[in-house]
Amino acid sequence: MEPDVTVDATFQTCPGPLIALAEAVSRAAPGQVVKLLATDPAAPSDVREWSAGTGHKLLEITRDGDVYEMYIEVSG
Amino acid sequence: MPKIALIVASERLDKLFPAVTLATTAAISGWEAELFFTFWGLLALKKGYEPSEVSLDYQAYQDLLKEALASGSMPGWRTVLHQGVATGRVKIYACSSSLGMFGMTADDLEEYVDSVAGAATFLGKAKDAEVTLFVS
Repeated sequence: MEPDVTVDATFQTCPGPLIALAEAVSRAAPGQVVKLLATDPAAPSDVREWSAGTGHKLLEITRDGDVYEMYIEVSG
Repeated sequence: MPKIALIVASERLDKLFPAVTLATTAAISGWEAELFFTFWGLLALKKGYEPSEVSLDYQAYQDLLKEALASGSMPGWRTVLHQGVATGRVKIYACSSSLGMFGMTADDLEEYVDSVAGAATFLGKAKDAEVTLFVS
């Protein structure tokens, strides 16, 4: 999956990754895909909850070693 | 939209961090957050005052927090709070009686403080909150 924006929040602890994601999503256009990189073990569940609450679409979560890669499509 | 209401009654770092983390996370999730700073918590809103200590019970762990902050892995509590305030959904109230107790006026408070308020005002803001917490 090719994201429009990539946000690297690796080695940041809660709430750093979610704040970084929210900022990137607020700047992105509807339909764009934001990729968030995080090592915080809470990030996948936090992003899942945040997406459900805000209406942005969580497309996929993958893991590469200690790094979670989360793809979020910005809603309109 | 959901709402969280927090009473922040301590300016110790181990109290401020969870309070602002919850408030800002709520705000960036589309929630409203109402924060009432009272008693020692009010000191955190004083211009030129920089809270620097954890609670006495946890002094042995203070260096771990300072290291996390210095490394950049953990954002500072005020940075987190500002990010919440920037959404327009975090409201900060300063307890009027605590203000008087410290001999302070509204002019002594940080600019992001929305207003000086009493208990009844905060109760009015908090009465329909789904999440309410007292942080002390």
